[in-house]
Amino acid sequence: MIRQALLTVSLAAFAFPSLIVAAQTPSSPARQSFDQLLQAAEKARDENRNDEAIRLFRRAITEQPDSEQALWFLGTLLYEKQQYADARDVLRQFVTLRPDAGPAWALLGISEFQLRAYPRALDHFERAMAAGMGDRNELIQSVYFDVVVLLTRFERYDESIDMLQRMLANGAPDPALTEPAGLAGLRLPLLPSEVPPDRVELVHLAGRAVLDVQTQHYENAESELKQLVTNYANEPGVHYLYGAYLVQLHPNESVAEFERELEISPSHVLARVRLAEQLIAKRDFDHALALAQQAIKLDPKRASPHMLAGEAFVAKGNAGDGVKELETARDIDPTVARAHWDLLRAYIAAGRKEDAEREKQAIEKLGNRDSQSPSGNAGDNPHDQAAP
Amino acid sequence: MRPLFSVLVICFSLAASAATVPDHFETIAKQAETARTQERVPDAIRLYREGTKLRPSWEDGWWYLGSLLYDQDRFPEATAAFQHLFVNTSHRGPAYAFLGLCNFETGKYNDALAQFRAWAGAGWAGTRELRDVAEYHFALLLTRDGRFVESLYLIAPLAQRLGENPELVEAMGLASLRMSYLPENYPPEQRERIWLAGKAALYAAQSPKDFERADEYAARLESRYGTQPEIHYFRGTLYGFEGNRTEAEREYREELKISPDHVPALVALAGSDLEKDDRAEASALAQRAVAVDSNDAEAHHLLGRIFLADADLHAAAAELEKAKQLAPGNPLIRSHLAMVYSKLGRTQEAKAESDAFLALKNKEEVMESPREKLDEINRESAH
Repeated sequence: MIRQALLTVSLAAFAFPSLIVAAQTPSSPARQSFDQLLQAAEKARDENRNDEAIRLFRRAITEQPDSEQALWFLGTLLYEKQQYADARDVLRQFVTLRPDAGPAWALLGISEFQLRAYPRALDHFERAMAAGMGDRNELIQSVYFDVVVLLTRFERYDESIDMLQRMLANGAPDPALTEPAGLAGLRLPLLPSEVPPDRVELVHLAGRAVLDVQTQHYENAESELKQLVTNYANEPGVHYLYGAYLVQLHPNESVAEFERELEISPSHVLARVRLAEQLIAKRDFDHALALAQQAIKLDPKRASPHMLAGEAFVAKGNAGDGVKELETARDIDPTVARAHWDLLRAYIAAGRKEDAEREKQAIEKLGNRDSQSPSGNAGDNPHDQAAP
Repeated sequence: MRPLFSVLVICFSLAASAATVPDHFETIAKQAETARTQERVPDAIRLYREGTKLRPSWEDGWWYLGSLLYDQDRFPEATAAFQHLFVNTSHRGPAYAFLGLCNFETGKYNDALAQFRAWAGAGWAGTRELRDVAEYHFALLLTRDGRFVESLYLIAPLAQRLGENPELVEAMGLASLRMSYLPENYPPEQRERIWLAGKAALYAAQSPKDFERADEYAARLESRYGTQPEIHYFRGTLYGFEGNRTEAEREYREELKISPDHVPALVALAGSDLEKDDRAEASALAQRAVAVDSNDAEAHHLLGRIFLADADLHAAAAELEKAKQLAPGNPLIRSHLAMVYSKLGRTQEAKAESDAFLALKNKEEVMESPREKLDEINRESAH
């Protein structure tokens, strides 16, 4: 397991460039006592007398509560000893002083994850990623793994799949990713440790399929997905997963899968969105519009149903309502290039030159941003990065 | 994205102390304020510590120190700061909420519940954001304490206002399945059922009610876990909300097959029987409920109503008096007791109960907020 690998790493080896030692008041008796304690604590740590080191670091912190060095070493020692509650409390003190310390946020997040404080853990992992974690690949992979599973648990499936893609881009898929991939693909908000025993096989099969799609092993993926819909024909999420795969290769066949998903999961927003998209491609605008409007009702804050409703309205000759929906889609998620293209065409048709120019600029800007950031959302996937 | 309920970002503006003070303290206080407004958090914490050391009566100093530490998730230290605020009335209300939150975060759950009750008693003071966070944690503790209905009363308005939120879903799932756990300590294998129940409860609590989606998740829950305790009772309650009495009854009976001593199911079914005038079965079920849990106010209330319908007035009075003792804030119990006393010719007592009913009823109508109802519950708990 990724985390187990991490635990073997000596965390104290993380070097924060400006870990403050010299900022204390020089050469006072208190300072001397603190320095002696710190030296003794570090010596104990170096000689693997960890319990003694912990005791000494604690004493040092009593004398100098803002000693970054003492807090960091104590936090990492407690973390390594899997004393997560104590590590958490010390690391919280440390990050108050060093909010720029990505690895500290990461260890704090992992400690909180272990204590099942999942919302905080995710928040702190996000801070770790924003601050950067240096070149410690084990730590980065461990954080990414936890972020994938937490995003899924918080029903942020699309972001979870995005993160999974980033992990896969860094190398061969770790078998530990199978369950997280399966859970995200099935849109089941569970951690791998929360999967009931009778669901393990389902989740594994879905996970293998998602990983195979992500790594472009399409033959394997197709076989696994077929097995999935055969073995779990009435399971929510299964037909959507297969349909989302088929869209890329056999779009016509995807329609039946999305329809079946909607029979099983009537409030499935993305199945509606995908189906509406297929119907637009087939120029069945009435049905597409009905589906998009249902999806809007179910999830008004999602961009893609508004965009598809807009496209259907425009195609049916109702440019007024069409533009309104397209503008709503653009305002909800300005990174979706397809909505900008739709609006550009609609504005040109309506003779709204200035508006058209603005959309053109937005498209160019998105193009530039995407070319600079290949891992970012390309923006021309209009459907919220549906898995797989 | 920061978690909605677990992290509270604090931005307060309180007037600085106007008292005349020594220069050094003034300087520190000014520096602390500058550091805080410039978001130099470590400096602000250090300076507020120094200021409160110089002047322990500096309430704003304790307030900001506690708030800054709370915002950094440093709960044990924040607790120590907030504890200095109880002498001061202007901070006492929100300080109760913060102390409740700090105690929650440090695992002192009973203390946290007591603080939240004190906070409610002091008028639920605080900003909208503080109230949301505190109410959510208050509800979690009520669930842990086995007070599931009260917990749901408290969460439902949050769910209406904030819509879909995974933390609310989990909280509602635990309360709906009557599981006396916190989100961080329930058995992991129960997660799926808690989520499914929570989704159903959250959609049913929306305004307008989204029963279609609630039913979809409830059906998934039932198909996955239909042989487990609490699932059918929950489904029955949901049908009850939807006004589908027949299906609700069927679900309660299913629950009793799985959990024969399920008091809420016995009570719900007995109530249904009484409405259909099937007094024999109603009586048997209510008697069973009372035998299983002699401290269940609703069971005694129902039994009293059944005796009243049977014109066994003395038995009715005894049961309703017991129910009143257990739940003095329940207006319907007082109303039924008034009827019984009246029939028994105990005119003065009948009038007293009738007055109590009217007072409670008026209050119930005027105070529609579930939080107001919870005030009554708090008072009941205190008795």
